[in-house]
Parts: sequence; structure tokens; C-alpha cells
Amino acid sequence: MDNLNLGRHISGQFNEDLERVINHVMQMGGLVEKQLSDALLAVHDADEELARKVHKNDYQINSLEVSIDDECTRIIAKRQPTAGDLRLIMAIVKTIADLERIGDEVKKIAQVALESLSGQQKDLLINLDNLGRRVLEFLQATLDAFTRMDVEAAIATHQSDTKIDREYEALMRQLMTYMMEEPRTIPQVMSVIWSARALERIGDRCQNICEYIIYFVKGKVVRHTTADDIKKV
Amino acid sequence: MISVSPKAILQSQTKLDLNNLSPDQVALEIKNLDLYYGEKQALQNISMSIPKGQVTAFIGPSGCGKSTLLRCINRMNDLVDICRIKGEINLHGENIYEKHVDVAALRRKVGMVFQRPNPFPKSIYENVVYGLRITGENNRRVLDEAVETSLRSAALWNEVKDRLHESALGLSGGQQQRLVIARAIAIQPEVLLLDEPTSALDPISTLTIEELINDLKKQFTVVIVTHNMQQAARVSDQTAFMYMGDLIEYNDTNTLFTTPNQKKTEDYITGRYG
Amino acid sequence: MNKWFKSGSPWIWLSAAGVSISLISVLGLLWLIASRGLSYFWPADLYQFEMLDEQGRTSTVIGEVYDREEIPAKQLVHLDIQLEPGQETIERYLVKTGNRELVSLDFRWILVPQIRKTSTPENIAVIERRTNGNFYGVIESLVLDGNSVSLDKMPELLERVEAFQEEIEALQKVDIGAINYKLERLRLTERKHQLGNNLTDEIANEINTQVQILKDEYKVLEAKLMSLRDTVSRDQLVVKAMDGTLVTIGFEDILQINFNNQMNVLEKLKLFFVQIGNFITDDPREANTEGGVFPAIFGTVLMVLLMTVIVSPLGVVAAIYLHEYAGNNALTKLLRIAVINLAGVPSIVYGVFGLGFFVYMVGGNLDQLFYPETLPSPTFGTPGVMWSAITLAILTLPVVIVSTEEGLARIPSAMRHGSLALGATKAETLWRIILPIASPAIMTGIILAIARAAGEVAPLMLVGVVKMAPNLPLDGNFPFLHLDRKFMHLGFHIYDVGFQSPNVEAARPLVYATALLLVTIIVALNMTAVSIRNRLREKYRMLEH
Repeated sequence: MDNLNLGRHISGQFNEDLERVINHVMQMGGLVEKQLSDALLAVHDADEELARKVHKNDYQINSLEVSIDDECTRIIAKRQPTAGDLRLIMAIVKTIADLERIGDEVKKIAQVALESLSGQQKDLLINLDNLGRRVLEFLQATLDAFTRMDVEAAIATHQSDTKIDREYEALMRQLMTYMMEEPRTIPQVMSVIWSARALERIGDRCQNICEYIIYFVKGKVVRHTTADDIKKV
Repeated sequence: MISVSPKAILQSQTKLDLNNLSPDQVALEIKNLDLYYGEKQALQNISMSIPKGQVTAFIGPSGCGKSTLLRCINRMNDLVDICRIKGEINLHGENIYEKHVDVAALRRKVGMVFQRPNPFPKSIYENVVYGLRITGENNRRVLDEAVETSLRSAALWNEVKDRLHESALGLSGGQQQRLVIARAIAIQPEVLLLDEPTSALDPISTLTIEELINDLKKQFTVVIVTHNMQQAARVSDQTAFMYMGDLIEYNDTNTLFTTPNQKKTEDYITGRYG
Repeated sequence: MNKWFKSGSPWIWLSAAGVSISLISVLGLLWLIASRGLSYFWPADLYQFEMLDEQGRTSTVIGEVYDREEIPAKQLVHLDIQLEPGQETIERYLVKTGNRELVSLDFRWILVPQIRKTSTPENIAVIERRTNGNFYGVIESLVLDGNSVSLDKMPELLERVEAFQEEIEALQKVDIGAINYKLERLRLTERKHQLGNNLTDEIANEINTQVQILKDEYKVLEAKLMSLRDTVSRDQLVVKAMDGTLVTIGFEDILQINFNNQMNVLEKLKLFFVQIGNFITDDPREANTEGGVFPAIFGTVLMVLLMTVIVSPLGVVAAIYLHEYAGNNALTKLLRIAVINLAGVPSIVYGVFGLGFFVYMVGGNLDQLFYPETLPSPTFGTPGVMWSAITLAILTLPVVIVSTEEGLARIPSAMRHGSLALGATKAETLWRIILPIASPAIMTGIILAIARAAGEVAPLMLVGVVKMAPNLPLDGNFPFLHLDRKFMHLGFHIYDVGFQSPNVEAARPLVYATALLLVTIIVALNMTAVSIRNRLREKYRMLEH
């Protein structure tokens, strides 16, 4: 937290406001992380109850997003933040939007657990589980980088999204083959595809969050640029 | 259908390279300026180029020398006996601190508006034409015209056109400040220096003045000193941050207020302990 | 008690007491002067007292009761007056009896116990005369062109006399005065040429012709004057005085005839204002103890105005130099201290300085240079109105300097900077901005200067004031304003009438009346200046910063 320089504002009130909003973001991150791991567990164990619980708990993420959004608006209105403070608020506003979307994607994953799959089809879920674990690590690394506002970690994490993409493509090819072999199973496979798709989206969103971290720390906009450009900052 | 190409949007944001201005873009050039009050050095080796037709803001904590630097530009510092100056300020490539420079003529080229509205205890009309009368202009028609144009430029004409010959002291603070600006622009200066022009005004009057500044830069080069960072952010194209007599950072306003280069600048504009 | 002290109310009471005392003193002073002074103009009742003195002689006393007082009875034991038991004092009246040609003193004390009878007969007239003061008595007959006429004709007669008097006055003062002045100038021209050794026959002839013309004119006027006088002196009034003597008074001598006992309040009021008007507009008579004080008013006002004209630019320029141009160094401080101390020098010292430096040195040299023809009689080398004005200007200079400087110091620097930033030079800023804004302060200085100068008498006695000036310093003869002339002054007039007059009793009310007039004039001068200042102040009102 120290590289945020939060504690050094002349206005103690401002310090408190910023700290509170950051804590809320972290709380929200933790919640999203927990939801994702629960969803993955539910899929793995075909635990319908857990899957329902994941579904139910999404509202918490949504309400946190709304309240953080509100706090940020208030800070902008009252403090007119500039430079680093302004970038921090902007990063937070965008981060929570992405976190909320991640929450929605998690809901889609949990949906799979509610599908009744045959034993053979369950093999497919092992591959999904692998992708899921990787995405979960990715999310954890991103939230970690956010907590420390560690630009190095953010860049490294940003790069690792390519691995997820590759794994996703492999899974998709596998699922396609499967569908071609047994057109009967297409509906069930489709739901697996949806959740794989959701995991891939979560990876993209995490990448966005890494970009916000870089923007906040370095003041450079790295969206829509190549990996090499990002390394240069 | 509104069609704006993304390229056009990008171009509108292209900023001047303040270190490499072409000579016709420069209104004022300050070179290695040192200023001493007695033994105490108040400005240290200031060098900067102020671009033409733009608003340049000086910000910084109290006593950082921003007002002093502003006053150097039209030699109001000459009024302070113990003030000594080294270095140059070039207007049209000529150093205004050369011996042969006529200070009164310089001040007609570089007008100044002060912190508190200081209309003379005369009529509104006489306030505006004061500078012209000094130059010996007494032609009624010329004066009338100057009054109307300057008051219009200062966005005051509609409010005062029916009482031009009433005392200027009857105006409100914001109107007085606009009158003082009208008075300054009546003599058609090239550069207009504004020394915290809104610090004595209420927020609404402040906004009016800020709006006015935005219009003024079409005709004049404006240099403004302000305590109010948001104001600098709102009205200026370039911002210079000064601290303890040093010019810390001089950059285009958008950059300075989002991603300043210097830690001191960042600390100051975000309100941290220096 | 302690609490009461802490509450601060003792200080409020103390300051209130201070203010009340000042206020009471000022009002008391004004009331005293006004009541004593104004009663002089009120037409008093005329009494006729039948007296019986200690030797058993009876007499009649006619006059106004001027004063009453109680004196210890023991002082008058020799008069053998019968006293009531326990009566310790005897009352006596001071009666103004006038009729100076009959009795040596026109005031007389009479003892109340000796009065046998008091009456207020309606036919007693007060006759105000050009010489010898008032005459109290009963009009017996009128003589017109040597013939007795009816008493009814008197009003129109008086009008006729007045018209004659005015004509004589105009002749004497204006026409003959002008001729005399011209003759004097011709004489001086001749003398000048003599001194310059260029008195050619041509010039001499020219001058002589002119002198001859003027002398002819003079003769014509003189003849006219004589005939007028003759005409007037043929009208006479026969009056019976209190002791029964018949006195003949020529009409040329009479100013007014009033029957005070016949008048009602309105008539008295009218006469009261007429008397005040006469007092203000008339020349003094009878060694200043009678008549008006116009020359003194005129002299006072003219001298003060001249002083103002001299002191204002001088003081303002000095203050501007001290405040705007002189460096802030030891010499400036010394100068400032010197100026302030100058205000503490006793005024008579200024008088001595004025006499020694201005009158004898400067004036003497001016005479040598410009008026050699009049020597040895001095023109400017003698006290005069100009030297008085200059001496008082020097006396009041510190006041103007100090208050102007304070005014300059109060002007916010924003005004100066505003003007300088518009490309004005320092001088332009001073002239167009600073001086107008400082004008109320300058006016304050001038007000104080006027107040001080108008009341100053001591130095004037040395440098220009006289008891009786033959001419006003302003008249119709070129160059109209005669700065070398001596003048009369109300302050000195008070001193002269009150302490140098042969007839102290007669002069006393006059002293009060003159004092009231002096106060009124000073207040009027001040009020004028104050109203000018207030108008300026309103115009240059600074916004409350």
C-alpha cells in the first residue's frame, strides 16, 4: 500500500475515503475469487446446492459494485482528485466494472453444474477444471498485483493470459471433435462450451484490470497495444 | 450525421512542444532569470517560453515566486526598491530589462490585472478609457468605440451600457474585475497578466471570469497566476508549477494534471505533504 | 463592585462624562455669546425715571435699562437711604442715557430707592446718529428748509434724507475716491520718470493736462457735494432732552428714529433684524464703538481666502514630495519631524518672523525694485493684507502637509499599481488618480488651516491688521485687489473695542456681537469646506476592502 502514498494527503478525511474505497475493492475481489472457486468446485463435484449458492451470492458483488461506484463519484465531486489520485479513482471505477462482469461469468460457469451429464461426458469437465484452475490463479495474481499496485506483477500477469487463450483453443477443438462424433450430445457439450467461454472472458477481464494497474502507476494507457509496447513502460 | 474522424480527435489534442517552440509561436521568452529581494533570492534560474495566443498558468504554494515572476514580465517589480534582477525576458526578441526600454510603453504592451478589483473612483467610461487618455487620445468617437469593444470583449457591455457614466465603484466585485480587464484590454496589449484575478470573487463571478479568459486568448496571450489548482486546470493550456523560487515543472495542462513528471508537482496538486 | 468595574461600564460612564462636559462647554459658550450679543440689537423699552436725590433735588432720567445689580448697603451709608429692616443690599440700575453732547457719560447708575416714579412714555424717541451716539428725548418740532412743519411729515422726510445720504456717500467714496486715486497714480508716474531721468517736457505736459482735467472734475463733484450737504442741513429736528434742554439735530446726522415704546413685538422683531443687517453691512463709527463691522468681516474673509489660496498648493506639493518622491531615509524623517514641530511654534513668533522677514526684508526689497517712485513711503515694505495671508499660510502649512500626507498614505497601493500597469508614468498617476482620491484629505487639511487662521489675531497685529482701515483691500480702482493695503479683522476688532475703547460700557455688547459674528463666519467657512470635502469623499469613496 505504501507505494500508493495514500497516507500523505494533508486532508486526513481524503486519506480515509481512499483507503475505504480500496478496501471495498479488495473485499469485492475476494468475493469474486471465492465465487469462482466455489463455482469450479460445484462443477467438479457436480454439487448442485453449491452451484445454487453461487448463483444466489452474486447479488453481493453487484451491490458492492454499486456502493463503490457511489463512493468514487462522491470523491470526485468533493475532492476533485488530480494526477495519481485521479488515476486511482478511474482505475477503481473501471476495475469494479470488470469485477462485476467476472461475477456474471462465474454465474454462467455454475450453470454447468446444474446440467445432468453422463459419465463419459464428465471427462470433458476435467479439461474444463484445468482451465478453471488456471483462470482462478490468474484472477488471484491480478488481485494480488492490484492490492500491492505492483506494476511488474501486473505486466507479468498480463502476459500470462496467452496461456489461457491457448488452453481454451485446445479445449474448444476437443469439444468440436466430440460434437462431430456424437451429435446427440450437442446440447450438453454446448453448455460446457459456454462455461469454457466464460472462463476465457474472465481471463480477458483480468487482463483489463492489469492494464488499469499499469495506467494508475505509470500514467500510460496500454489498452489496445501489443505486448511489446506494454513491456516498454 | 456527425462524422468526426478519429484522426481529427487525436490532432485536436496534439500539444505544443514547449521546449522547441518556433519563434513565431513564442510570445515571451524568459531566460535564466534570477531575482533577489535584498539578499534573499526569490527566483532561481527560471527559463521558459510562453506560447502566443494561449493561456499559461503559474501555480505553486504561497511564496513560491509565481506572482513575482508575473510581475517581472511587465516590470512591476521595479516599484520594489530592493529588488534586483539578472537574466532576460524577451518580448519580440528584445530584452525588456535593457536600459533604453520605456517601461510605460512596455506596460502598455503587457497589461496586468490584480488580485483585488481596483477600479479607479471614476465613471465606468473613464475607467475604460484611462489608458487611452494617458496616450493622449481624446477623440470622443475613438474613445466611445474603444469603450464598447473592450466592454464587449470583457463580457460586461450588456450589464453596464446604460450606466457608463455612473461610478465604477457601484458595480459588484465580479463586474469590477471584468471592468478592470476591459480597462487593460482597451489599450490593446499583446500579453495580459492576471494575478490571481478571482481570489476575491464569489464562485459564480469566478466562473464568468474563467469563461472570459477562455475568450480572451483568441486575441491576447494570457498569463495567469492562481492559487486555485482547479482553476488553472480549467482555464490554462500550459501550466508551470513553481516551488521555493524554482520552476519545477512546465508542461501542458492536461499532462500536468493527470500524469505530472515530478514528484513535487504530484504531491502539490494532489494535496500531499511537500 | 469589582464586577461592575470588570463589566467596563465605568469607562463608558467616564467617556460619556467627558463628551458631556465638552458639549456643555461648547453650547454654554455659544449661548452666552449669542444671548449677550443678540440682545444688543433688540429694541429695548425706554424708561422715564423721576429721581429724588439725597439733597432733595428732583431730576428726570430717560434711557434704556442696561444692567441691574445689588450693592452692599454699607457702601452707600453717606447717602442716608432708608432701609427696610434686615435689608443689606441696595439695587441699582445702569441706564444708557445717550445725549453725549449734554452729559459727559452716556451711562449712569441710578439707585432704586431714589426713584420716585417710573413710566414708559410712548413719545420718547431713540435717535441714532452718525456722531455722538444715540439721543433719547421727545421730538418737539420739525424744521424743513428753515420752516417748521407738522410732525406727521417725518417719515417722508427721513426717506428723503436717506436718499441724500446715499448720494453723498456714493460721491465721496466712489467718484471722488477714484479721482484721488488717479491723481495719486499720475503723481507716481511723474516721480517714476523723474527717478529714471526720462521726464521729458512732453510727458510732463501730458501728465499736467491730465491732472488739470481731473482737478476740474473734482471741482465739479465737490460743488455738487457741497450743495447736497447744504440741502440736507436745512432739515432739522428739535428734540427735548431729559433735562428739558431743546437740542437741534441736523438731518444729515440722523440714521434712524425709533419709538421703541410704541412698537409691538413684530415691529420690534423687524427692527431687530434690520439692526443686525446694519451691523453686518455698515462701517464702524465713533472709534469702532458704534455702527457696523463690515470692513472687519470683509478683511477677515479676504485674508483667510488669500491664505487658503497660498497654503493649499504649497502644502500639497510639500506633502507629495515628502510622501512620493523623497527617499525613506533619515533626512526625510527629520523633515517630517520639523514640519510637525512647526505646528507647535507660538503664533506670535510667526508674527515676529513675518514682520522681520516678509515685511521688512522681502517687502523692503520689493519696494526698492518695483516701487521706487513712492519711497520713502513704503508700498509692500509695511504690514499689509498680503503679508498677513502669507504669514498665516506659513503658520498653517504643517496642518495641510500632515493631513495631505495621511491622505496619500491611506490610498491603497492597488490604485497606483492599477494606473502604472496601464502604462501611466508616476507623474500621470499622481495627477490623474492619487490627487483626486486624496482630495478629501487635502480638504480636511484646508479646513483645519482655515479654522486655525480665522481665529488667529496675535501675529496679524504685527503684519497687517489695523484698528481702522480707510479703504477695503478690494475696490473699483485698478488693479482692484490691493494686496499692499492694511485691513481690519474681526478678532482684532473684538480686542480693540473691548479693551482699547474709551467707552467700555457701550462697547461690551458690541464685543459679544462681534465675537458671535466671528464664530459664525468661522463656522460658515468651515461648513463650506466640510461640504466640499463630503462631496469629494462621496465621489472618491473607497470600497471597503
